[in-house]
This record gives sequence, structure tokens and C-alpha cells, in this order.
Amino acid sequence: MKEEMVEADVLCIGGGVAGLMGAIRASELGAKVVVAEKGNTLRSGSGATGNDHFMCYIPEVQEKELDRILRSRYLSWRIRSRDFLNLWLEKSGEMAKLWDSWGIPMKYNGQYEFSGHAIPGEPLVLIHYAGQDQKIILTKKALSKGVKILNRVAGFELLRDGSIVGALGIDTREDRLIIFRAKSIILGTGIAQRLYPGPTPGWLFNLAFAPTCTGDGQSLAFRIGAELIGAERVHRHRGPKYFARCGQATWLGVYKDADSNPIGPWPTKIDRRYSPILTELAPEVIEEYAKSGKGPVYLDSAGISDEDYEYMKHWLRNEGNAGILNYMDEEGIDTRKRPIEAMRYGPIGGGTIRINVKSETSVNGLYAAGDNGYGIGEMPGAATHGWIAGESAANYAKETESPSMKRVEGTIEEKKRLLQEIQTREAGASWQEVNIAIQQLMADYAGYAGGVGAGSVRSQIMLMTGLTYLRRLKEKAYNTMVARNQHELMHCLEALNLLDLGELVFTATNERKETRGPFIRSDYPFTDPALNNKELILKKEDDKVVTRWEEIRR
Amino acid sequence: MPPVIDKEKCTGCGICVDICGQDVFFGSKDGELPVISYPEECWHCAACVIDCPTQAVRLRIPLPMMMLYK
Repeated sequence: MKEEMVEADVLCIGGGVAGLMGAIRASELGAKVVVAEKGNTLRSGSGATGNDHFMCYIPEVQEKELDRILRSRYLSWRIRSRDFLNLWLEKSGEMAKLWDSWGIPMKYNGQYEFSGHAIPGEPLVLIHYAGQDQKIILTKKALSKGVKILNRVAGFELLRDGSIVGALGIDTREDRLIIFRAKSIILGTGIAQRLYPGPTPGWLFNLAFAPTCTGDGQSLAFRIGAELIGAERVHRHRGPKYFARCGQATWLGVYKDADSNPIGPWPTKIDRRYSPILTELAPEVIEEYAKSGKGPVYLDSAGISDEDYEYMKHWLRNEGNAGILNYMDEEGIDTRKRPIEAMRYGPIGGGTIRINVKSETSVNGLYAAGDNGYGIGEMPGAATHGWIAGESAANYAKETESPSMKRVEGTIEEKKRLLQEIQTREAGASWQEVNIAIQQLMADYAGYAGGVGAGSVRSQIMLMTGLTYLRRLKEKAYNTMVARNQHELMHCLEALNLLDLGELVFTATNERKETRGPFIRSDYPFTDPALNNKELILKKEDDKVVTRWEEIRR
Repeated sequence: MPPVIDKEKCTGCGICVDICGQDVFFGSKDGELPVISYPEECWHCAACVIDCPTQAVRLRIPLPMMMLYK
């Protein structure tokens, strides 16, 4: 394997929205910045072909509503604690305006279009924006600031000698190892998918978020001792049955049963400002309807005006759903005449990296932003935390000497051996075998509310049994995996990352000995008030996972 | 399986090969008709469809993802 050394003040692993925002800001502040991206930053990550909602506070428009906004249901879901809420109030509007000035259209017909993720009476806290080309615009901005972008490079290990000293990456097309010597690193690798099965068994890439996002950042950070949170919580997205995509709040219509009767009061008639959020407020309804014999749940746009139907399609396209819209056109599927069946997709989980309002992790020189580091959620989180991570990392790099790699040489050699073994084994397990084996263990032993059969049971004995099996699988994966080319090597490394996250999920789920909202334990059916406003922190110490609870300031 | 390339329209410019987030075109060569090495890894994000300068790419949605309607 060829080797190449790359030097950086700030290395961004993951060139999605968060990574590029960090890169742009750090470069503006004078840092030498390199972005390592598995795909191509022009169209990579979950925002590849767009997003259409941006949760923000724009004082000149919303100031009179501030008291209501602060009590918003949506904000309480998407913002981790009070200090992040203050950060969102201070920065999210600024980020929206910055993007608008760069050419990402944040206004609709010249105005901020507040809409979606609310029922009548609730404050609107998201603007519709036209994000189809956001990645192209951010990439051009980064290049114009002097950022060096290495596309088709997957970061797979962080190097730490007390503080961050660098990272290792592989070229996903050519046989090449990249050794990064970096003063600081921003992880922006997205959400953790492919840990649990998606809607189509064995079809590993039919997922709502980008299937390349496999929790690499979470796993890399965890392996060098950074703290993670929330590994016991899983998220299940909703959308058209079997065609997994985000955009549930962009569809306009009413959720109805098989006899075309509206289900639930949210809403019963179409209003473009208020999404049909039955599936957001009561996602379990979809599965409960089927289980109780009431049949499927449909999204029905009957009665919508032509303008509103076009409005919906405009935003769905900007939400990254050109693929679905083109398909509907080809197939003649029109939700005004043909209500489409809805479903809850498989769980996404594995925890996020614990960050503070400066996007700092618990490791010196390591920062996280976007879906892999939760403070403010979703797109404004990627923008704001990315931007702030860029500032924090650039300032840290200014005060830091070029790191010595001497004490991590052993780790580099060990990882090189791992790559070589995977590349040269004559026969063994493919990455798909490992990934599918992980998914079935997660679904059956760390199941989720709404699952069927064994998958709906989560109890200490099931979790600990699953953990034993997963560790056995991990050993086999390390000792038998085979890659025939660099693309497969990338997937093998992703699978090894998923194995780490799986262990975290089992451990964290076992630690939360209660039932709380969508988090259900078969052996602890009650909510434990002692855990109100607490989050579970996980960390690796002496090769073991240690946990502790900490208060969240609301 | 997705994507499907119209040989008549494709100029071999390589934009789709360059941008695909999942690298379904892995192994394609410069200036040639792209090869679709990993069709089952397509995310149906339609980046290749949107960015193709000659509209030579369409997605064929696989049957397990067939949308279900009344």
C-alpha cells in the first residue's frame, strides 16, 4: 500500500455541511485546513441533493413571538439543553443570512417562509429554504478560502497522544494510506445508519439518511476515549412505505385510514404552513393501526389546490427528493388521487459525541459538529456547530505546536497490519455478511418499540446475551473479513465501526433501567423520576465502557 | 437497477462518476461510458440525474422500493 503524509492545522473528517462549514471558518481564521471526504463534497452526506427546512430564530421577524418560541415543542426535541438554546437564539439566524449571502436561497418570494413541523397554534420555528445545491455552493466557498479537499478519502482512525496528533485514512479508489499529522480534528461524519435493518431486509442502502453515514465519527472518537451520549436512544424516521427518504414534514396532505377517514387531529385539512405531523407527534400510530387490524395508514392530498401541490413538489425537490418525484411522475403516482402508504423506517442510533457550545469534545484538539455531535439538532446544528468548531479548532491550532507522531507509530503499524490482512486474505467474510449479522443481532437483542417478535423485547437478559454474541461477531469480523478492492475495504472499516457502536447501544440500553416515552424496557416498565433531565454519558477506559449520568440544564 | 445511462446521450464527461456519494460507478474510466459496479448501493438521491449535463441518466427504482398506493 502506498503511503502519503498530509499535514494540517485543522483536519475535517467528513465533508458534509458541518465539515465544510468548519473548514470555511477555520480557513478564514488563517488555519491550514484539509477536508477528508469518503464521497465527493459536491454531493456527499445526508444533505447531498438538498434539504428544505432550517430551524432558526430571526429576531426582526420573530421577536414578538420569543416567549412562545422558547416554549416550542419542536425546539425542546431538537435542542439538547439551555446553553445550546441560547446558542441557537444567538447564531441560527446569522447562519441563515450567511448562507443566503453565499447563494443558498433562504427566502421564498423575497421573504422568510416560516412553515412546517407544527400544528395550528404552535409557533413556527423553521424556514423553508431551497437547499438542492447547498453542497455545491459550500464546496465552492471552501475552495475559494483555500481549503484543500481530499475526496474519496475515508478517515478510519484517530491518533492521540494525550491530545490529537493526527488520523489515518484510506483512499477509497486506489491502494493508498494517508497519514494525517494534524493539530486538531473536526468530526462531521453524520448520523449512524446501517446498525439496525432498514425497511427492506438485506437491502442495506434503502435508508432515509445517506447510507454512507455509518457513525464513523462516533466510533473513531469513542475508540480514543472521547465521551458519547444518548447511545440508548434510537430514532425512527417516517415516510413513504419502502422508499426510505426524509421529508415527512414537506408532504402536504392528511393521514387517513383505508376508508379515507382522517386519523387524529393533526391536521384534518391541508394548510401549507402546517405539515401533516401525525407521524411526528404519534409515530407509533402507523404500526398500531396495522397491529389492531385497522389496516394501513395513507398520506392523502385530496382537495389540495394546484398551487399548494406545486408548492409541495418544489420543496420536496429541494429536500433531496428529486429521485422520488421523478419516479412518481414516471409511474403516474399523484397523491391527490392515489394516497400513498406511510411507514416507520428502521431505527437509527449509536449515540452522538458529547460536545459543548464551543463544539469541543472531551479530548483536547477534537471537535464534532453536525449529526455526529448533538447540541442543536438538524441543519442549523450542522451549520452552527460546524462554524463554531472551525473557530475553536483554528484558535486551538494557533496555540499548538506541530505534533510529534513518535508515540503513535505503534498504532499506525497495527492499523496497517489490519488493512493488509483484510486486503490479502484468500477467503473470508464479506463486509455485507458482517453488516447483516450486526443488524440482526441489534434488531433481535436491542430491539425497539414497535418491533415485532423478539425485536420488541428489551430486557437485561436479552441485552447482555446480544452483547456477548456481538462481541463474538466482532472477533470473527476482525479475523476473517476480506476486501477485494478499496471500495470494499472502506465498507469493511465501516462495519468494524458499527460493531463498536453496537456494543455502546447494548451497554447504554441496559444502563437505562426504565421506560421513558419511546424508550421501552420490557423489564422496567415504569419511568424512573431520578433520571428526569439526565443524560447517559459513555466513555472507554482501560478497554471497558464506563457510564455515568449527568444533569441536563433545561 | 439504478442508475441507467443512455449510451446515445452520454458523452463520457465523468461528472456522475466524480460526484456519486456512494461511488456506485467505482471502477469507471475517464472518457468512457460509466460502469455501474454497485447498483445496490444507490441511495436514489438523484445527484447523477440532476448534474448530468446531457440528461443521459435516469434512475430505475428497484422493485422492493416500489411505492405503495391505494
